[in-house]
Amino acid sequence: MRMTGRATPSSIIIVGGGASGVVLAAHLLKSPNPDLRVSLIEKRPHFGQGMAYSTLLSAHVLNVSAAGMSAYADDPGNFSRWLLERGLATPEQAPVYASRSVYARYLKELLDEIEAREQQTGRLRLIREESLSISPTASGVEVALANGTSVVAHLAVLATGHDEEPGAGQGHAIRMGSEADTALDPEARVLVLGTGLSMVDAFLSLEQRGHRGEIVAVSRRGLLPSPHRKGNPIKLDVADIPLGTQLSYFVGWFRDLIRENQKAGIDWRDVVDGLRPFNQKIWQNWPSSAKRRFVEHTKAWWDIHRHRMAPEVYARVAEAVQAGRIRLVAGRVVDIAAGDGFSVQVQSRHTQQLERFGVVRIYDCTGIARDISTTSNSVVRSLVGRGLARPDPLRLGLDVTANCEVIASDGTVSAKILAVGPLTRGTFFEIDAIPDIRVQCARLSKRLLG
Amino acid sequence: MLTKKGKYGLKALVHLARLPVGQLAFVNDIATGNNIPKKFLDAILGELRNAGFVQSRKGKDGGYRLARPADEIKVGHVVRVLDGPLAPIPCASRTQYQRCEDCNEATCQVRHLMLEVRQAIAEVLDQRSLAEMRDIAGDADLSAALKIQA
Repeated sequence: MRMTGRATPSSIIIVGGGASGVVLAAHLLKSPNPDLRVSLIEKRPHFGQGMAYSTLLSAHVLNVSAAGMSAYADDPGNFSRWLLERGLATPEQAPVYASRSVYARYLKELLDEIEAREQQTGRLRLIREESLSISPTASGVEVALANGTSVVAHLAVLATGHDEEPGAGQGHAIRMGSEADTALDPEARVLVLGTGLSMVDAFLSLEQRGHRGEIVAVSRRGLLPSPHRKGNPIKLDVADIPLGTQLSYFVGWFRDLIRENQKAGIDWRDVVDGLRPFNQKIWQNWPSSAKRRFVEHTKAWWDIHRHRMAPEVYARVAEAVQAGRIRLVAGRVVDIAAGDGFSVQVQSRHTQQLERFGVVRIYDCTGIARDISTTSNSVVRSLVGRGLARPDPLRLGLDVTANCEVIASDGTVSAKILAVGPLTRGTFFEIDAIPDIRVQCARLSKRLLG
Repeated sequence: MLTKKGKYGLKALVHLARLPVGQLAFVNDIATGNNIPKKFLDAILGELRNAGFVQSRKGKDGGYRLARPADEIKVGHVVRVLDGPLAPIPCASRTQYQRCEDCNEATCQVRHLMLEVRQAIAEVLDQRSLAEMRDIAGDADLSAALKIQA
């Protein structure tokens, strides 16, 4: 095996075989390099099913239409064709919001196909085991597995995705669908922390189970995400967009842009979506003060306009809100007393008034962004613990370079430990969804393998 | 095209980038030192402050200083704030588009090429920081800098 200084790394370990891990493996294995070795490590029995795509509920549809969900950055029609070939969509049906379990199947078949293709070459190795830690060695990296063995390679890419455990400080809250989520009295009231897309998922699950009791959903602003609508994103160039300014200046520019377009009869969604190709660039050029302000004050508003849901799902949620089955509260939970169920106290954001009521369960739907230092992922925790990685300044994920290289606690850039997907949120900002992850994986593959 | 406003603004920022970190400069000194009409400079500095590139202090000891390190502010950031979207001609802009009276924009080859040119302008200006611009000493250094880039 060649191991000269600037040689192309030919063996790569991907830690995490969920959606981002599979997408990365698919991009890497497009390389014709016969010496390439890709090891994909996943602790769950199935590959391609991360947090988002392991749901079996058919009402849990993708929040992005099929065109955005192809695994390949340079072949956006891949998933749509797959749906058509299997009769899971019709050509006149557009846009298609496929169910997430169908998407998991797509990723599984994609990986099966690659595995079959690489059988002869031996370039892909699938390992069903939990990774415990990554350690740099003289010639590369070593990934220790829970079964006591280890895997070595030239470099490792973290693709561990979203955290599986509820955030710290959520107290009695549990995740929907986890082991603690046992059967409920269908008439009882439940509390949901969060009013975003995760809350919508929880509502759909509860409906499916025949739950009829009130669902109280609390978040700081009590905002519900908007529905998608068919449209055409406006065309923008990077030369049009103010970069590197204070947040207020940018927000003023963006509001004016929406206003002008609305005057011309263009939907705000088309303006928000027109900005999407530049979102990472905008984020990366902001001073840290603007980033911090955005996360604290503007992100909630941005999210409900930017991260939307399928129109059919929105209709169901809106109907439930109207009928009083979902109650949206802008405020915060100030007290939770456990007893027979929970007695919770909520303070309204607007009136400051306190309200106490009983619930039988508390679901954590506060979303996917949280402080990385409290992660339940042992590989990430051990890297941070040994100073081989550090949280980014806003603690949204790991501190990485624009080339996905992990930055150690002393500021050293690692050439051997990299990261993709939600872990890189601090640098790439919008990197939670396939449309962005596939671009990141394509760039990384190109940089690593040419 | 870079307007006088854009040019003056960049000169003023280079002036500030030469000062020790945190030191304030009088508007008068910036104006006379760079041949900028003072009233115009006041307006320019006001816009740069709104965008978060400079900070000001009022009063007798007042003045302006950079709000951030000079290597964090890119030239392209500043030009967009002062001159609007980067564009070699007014019809080659998506947000500040101005229709030419005398041609059809859909088929105008000049516009198509100029849309490409603006990408190139953005690429150059977004790569260069105020600090780098400040450190360009003269033509000799410039050719050296260009060589490094290429």
